[in-house]
Parts: sequence; C-alpha cells; structure tokens
Amino acid sequence: MSGMRVDVKVVMLGKESVGKTSLVERYVHHRFLVGPYQNTIGAAFVAKQIQVGEKCITLGIWDTAGSERYEAMSRMYYRGARAAVVCYDLTDKRSFERASFWVKELKTNEELCQIYLCGTKKDLIANDRHLRQIDYHDAQDFAEEIGAQHFETSSKTGNNIDELFQKIGEDYMSSEMELMPAEEPGVDLNQKKNSYFYSCCLSN
Amino acid sequence: MMDGGAHTHRATAAWDSSSLPVPVDHLRSMRAESPTPGLVEGTEPGAGQRSTMFIHAQSFEDLTAEAEEEALRAADTAGEECAAEELKALIEEKNIQEQHKNHLSTEARTREEDVSSDAWRSHKKHVFVLSEAGKPIYTRYGTEEALSSTMGVMMALVSFVEAEKNIIRSIHTDGCKVVFLTRSPLVLVGMSQCCRSDKELLRELNYIYYQIVSLLTLTQLNHIFQHKQNYDLRRLLAGSEYLTDSLLQRLDRDPGLLLSAVTCLPLSSNARDVVSSSLQAAKSKSLVFSILLAGNQLVALVRKKDQFLHHIDLHLVFNLVCSSSSFREGEGWTPICLPKFNTAGFFHAHISYLEPASELCLILVSTDREDFFNMSDCKRRFLERLSVRSAYQALKEALKCPSYSVDQVGIPELRHFLYKSKSSRLYTSPEFPEVYQSYEEQERLMVLYQDLHSCVTHPTRPLHSFYRCGETENLLARVTSGFELYLCFTPLSTKAMAVSAVTKLLKWIRKEEDRLFILSPLTY
Repeated sequence: MSGMRVDVKVVMLGKESVGKTSLVERYVHHRFLVGPYQNTIGAAFVAKQIQVGEKCITLGIWDTAGSERYEAMSRMYYRGARAAVVCYDLTDKRSFERASFWVKELKTNEELCQIYLCGTKKDLIANDRHLRQIDYHDAQDFAEEIGAQHFETSSKTGNNIDELFQKIGEDYMSSEMELMPAEEPGVDLNQKKNSYFYSCCLSN
Repeated sequence: MMDGGAHTHRATAAWDSSSLPVPVDHLRSMRAESPTPGLVEGTEPGAGQRSTMFIHAQSFEDLTAEAEEEALRAADTAGEECAAEELKALIEEKNIQEQHKNHLSTEARTREEDVSSDAWRSHKKHVFVLSEAGKPIYTRYGTEEALSSTMGVMMALVSFVEAEKNIIRSIHTDGCKVVFLTRSPLVLVGMSQCCRSDKELLRELNYIYYQIVSLLTLTQLNHIFQHKQNYDLRRLLAGSEYLTDSLLQRLDRDPGLLLSAVTCLPLSSNARDVVSSSLQAAKSKSLVFSILLAGNQLVALVRKKDQFLHHIDLHLVFNLVCSSSSFREGEGWTPICLPKFNTAGFFHAHISYLEPASELCLILVSTDREDFFNMSDCKRRFLERLSVRSAYQALKEALKCPSYSVDQVGIPELRHFLYKSKSSRLYTSPEFPEVYQSYEEQERLMVLYQDLHSCVTHPTRPLHSFYRCGETENLLARVTSGFELYLCFTPLSTKAMAVSAVTKLLKWIRKEEDRLFILSPLTY
C-alpha cells in the first residue's frame, strides 16, 4: 500500500464499542474477531482499493477511537474527509445520541463531507427483535433531514458492509464527474489536488 | 527510587548531562576478555561502545523523593499500629454496606467481583487509584463503584495525617502492608500480603501513576482537577483499564521492570547494525525515536541526537504495544505522553507491525501530530532498505529462537540468571529451565529475585554480595559499579561453586555480548 495515492479520505466516527473497528476489519480483512472487547488506541489507518465502474480508486479509512479521551484529536482525523461513516449501535439508544453529536460536529466543520449514518450489530436484533432500540424509520428520517445516506449493517455476517463502502466510492466518483470540466477529460488536475500523497517528495 | 543506593553517589550530578557515563576511549581498551567483578562502569560486558541509549541519571524528582522519604520514614512508624486497626475495622464495616450497592449496580463489567468476598480479600496485592477528592479512579480487582466508600476512608487517612503537617507513608499490620503515594492530583494506594518492602510497592505505584500520565499528560490532569475537583476521571480513562491491569502483571513477572532495564532480541551484530542503520536512514524532521520491538524484546532503537529515552517510558511503550490488539488492524497513530521525558505534552506515535502476523513492531515517535503520512513513509523506506540488504531474512531467522538455554553457559549447577549492564541499561537472561516451567514457579523465582534486588539496592545499607541458601534453590546476588548479577543455582550447589560461577558467566557474557546487547546504538 506504500507509495500510492489515497483518493477518498473516509473517517469512522461514533461512540465507543459501537463496532467501528469490527466494521473496518470485516470490510478490509474479511474477518470478524470474536474475543474480549478492546478499544482502539488513538486511530488506525488502512487503505483499500475498490473498483467503481471502470476506475480503480483507493479509500483511506481512518478508524478512530470512540473514547472521550481522544475527542480533542478527532478534528485532525475528519479534517478534509470526503466521507464520514457515523456509527451507532442498533441496541444502544445512547450511541444514537452520540451519533447526532458527530453529525453536528461534521456539519459545522466539514461541509463537504458526505455523511453515512450506519446502524451496527444488526445480527443481534435478527436474533431478538426486542433488543432494537432505534427504530429503522426514525433513523431514516434523521438521515434524510441531514442529507445523509442510511445503512444498517452486521460485521458478524458481513451484511450490507461492502454495499456501504461501494456507495462511498460511487458517490465520490459522481461528485468528481460534476467537478471535472466536460471538455478536457484528459488531464485530471482536480483529482490530484484533492488527494493525499505517500510520495517521499513531500516528506522533507 | 528505581535503583536505590547503588546510584546515590551520582545524586549530586543528576542534573548535569555530563554525568551520562559515556565510556571514554581509554576505558574501551580495557574491555578484557575475562572480565573480573572489579570492572569499572562502562567496561562491563554489554556496555555500549559509543554512547548510551537511555537516560541515565535518575530524574531530579526521583532523587529528592527518595531522600525525603528516608528522612520521614523514621518519624512515621510510631502510632501506625492503631491506625491500621482502625482501617481494617472500617474496611470490613464498609464492605457490608457495599454489598447491596454492588448488587444494584447495573453496569456489567468483566472485572465484576464481589468486594466483600473472601476471594477479593485474599488477592495478594491490591492497587487503588483515587483523586484527591476521594473519587475512585482505578482498582485492580472489583469495581470502583463498589469501593467508593473504602477509597473515601483511604483519602480520609491521607488528609487526617496531612492536617497535622505530616505525610502518611505506610501502614504495617501482621502480614499486610499498605503503602500510600500522593502525586497530586492523584493518590495511589498499594496493599500487599507478600512480605515485600515498601520500596517495591512504591515503585509499582509510581509506574501506575506514569501509566495514567502517559494517557492524559500531567498538564491535562492538573487542568481537569483545578476546574472540577470532583471530576470522575474514569470517563477519560474508559477503555484503558486493561493497560493498567497488564502493567501490574508485568511488574510481577518482567525482570526488566525490576532491574530498570530492557532486554534485547539475540541477533548477530551484523544484522543488528543493518537494522539500526536502516532505521537511522529512514529519518524525518519530526522524528525523535525509532523503536523496533519483537514481542517483549528490543531489536533496535535509534534516537535523535541529544534526546534520550527513559527506561520507564520505554516500558510503558512495551506495555501499550504488547497488550493492545488494535495495532494489528492497520497503521496506528496515537497521542502518547512519555512522562519521564516530559509530562506536559503528547508525542504522536506511529505504531505498526512489519507484517500482519509478525512479532516485529515498529514505533516511530514524532513531535508533530499532523505527520502521519511522513511517518508512514519512513516505515516504507525502512522496510525497503532492510529487504534490499537481506537483513530482514536474518531478523526473521533470529525471531525463531528469541531466547537461549542456560546450558550454553556450561555451568551445570546454574539454573537461571539475570545480568544487567549498568551503563547501557540492558539486561540479559536465559529462558526458564524445566523446574520453573509453571506460571507459579516463575512468579516464585521472580519474588526471590525481588528480595535479592531490594537487599543489594537498599537505600541506606546496600549489599555488594549476597548469598542465600534455600530448600529449593540457592541464590547469589553480585553488584559492582558496572553490573548487577543475580544467579539461581540448584539446591545442591555450594557457595564456592557459586562464587566461581560468577567469573565463568561473565566470561561467557563477554563472548556473547555482540549478540545479546546493543553495543553501538545510533542517532540521527
């Protein structure tokens, strides 16, 4: 993954233990780790290439820690992000309140960032409907109100996860299309400006 | 405090960077083939040839604290007995009340344990952290909620003695020690049922204090409690309890924390030099320390010129990396305060494994929180350089045998040993032999080593040589200005055998020092 370019900066946000890390693990490494919960320290970065139409783009995913301790750092992680996956736990009402905090935070600081509201641990409610604490339609209404996309996922089964990130990729591509001058499709200066580089030329 | 009397002669020069024992050239020529116990610091086996990696002199704070403590200790002992009785009675009374609370507590935690049970009380060691307002912050066993009244009593004791313009240091009862450490804005209390010295417990409490500071910085801690005395610090520490838990386990098991030293992965000096120089070449403006770890062992450490890492800070990094699974996921980027370097601010550490399933973990400590991609690039450059020189293969080979057997030394009576070079702050130790395979036996041996250690580093009456005959093993400790050596022999060995083993072992370590130690640490 070294020496390559990141096209889309994606940031994972949400209350601790909603399953941000599990979501990324499932998407990037296709696995679900069972074991004692351990919270993320600081943040973790992974890059993943996806195919959108005929183009191959790279998502740079920042999996942030949910603990309050790192809250002051969070701005650094979502700055310049094109997409934010704001997670809440379908079985935890308080995590939804926290999600709306992040939405507000993004709306004030990162206008250009597209928000993806994501309810996690869907497998738990599939087993027991009574566990659901956030109604699907309530979340859907909230998403529409803030102009966000809405997903419900399960990292355990993998349900809806590829779809979520694929949508992020597609949305990025279509917004790039809009930005691109129609007459000169050959030179892609805008895209270059908007991306992060790994190259050593910038490092010193 | 970390080393005790053996180092007190350096106390006066502690501020002065010239007190760093950089071995002078004429000393280097004295690196004898068969080192004798009379070696000068800087020429012992394992001593660095160019300069040392770790900061040497203890910090000013440690030295003054120690002197202060000794002066006060004498004054303390009187009148403690009755206080102890009171505490015991109070704790028991409170526990009954707590029981109900505990049942009502809805918060499900894995550490849930009935604090009124015998099992809870029979834990050999307890550690409690509270705020100066008496609010619980951490307990090793049980939940903080359930212990809020008990911690209130602890704080009451501290304040009661403080009101008399005095400081409570410890309470001694039959078979139990309670040690208090006030490091504003925190109060730490340790309780031990094994007969360890107060100094050992204090050392552990200090480690826990530094662990908390490393997550938050002292500046932030002070700021919080200045604004809200009653603040529940657990909010900010949420999810970090496992770090403190695992640090406490390390304190019981890791000789490095006892010796204030670090151990290295045995590696040929050629391969190690390539690793070090590759780290050195992958530098960046904001980079301060590049550390390569293999599990609990150091492979290489390159630092910015004139910047030194304290062994306590390095142990905190070891603890963070080894007990967290989170860095396996991708490239980690986290704020970290190195409290012995500076309690005021955060460094930012890029933490990643060289390969997904590898034991090798690279830590790049930067001063700039925006520098993630630069650090990521440093790692890439390091890996490129390493693989081109085929040192990576040698490193992977070395990982297959990360320890060695004591049989290699060729002293049949010798079962195990710890050898620390004082000037490099590195130690070496063979793997545990058959007789110490079980967890309990290893812990028992560590307790024996701890006892020896407290005798030879006693703040006022340090011993240079100490032989102890036991039913299950015989032990010898030998300390000079250059090294600390702790040996464990079969119970059938004799004192004469033990004494002659020292010379033989030193000779062996000298022969192997290239492999066992980092002799030429680099800077950038």
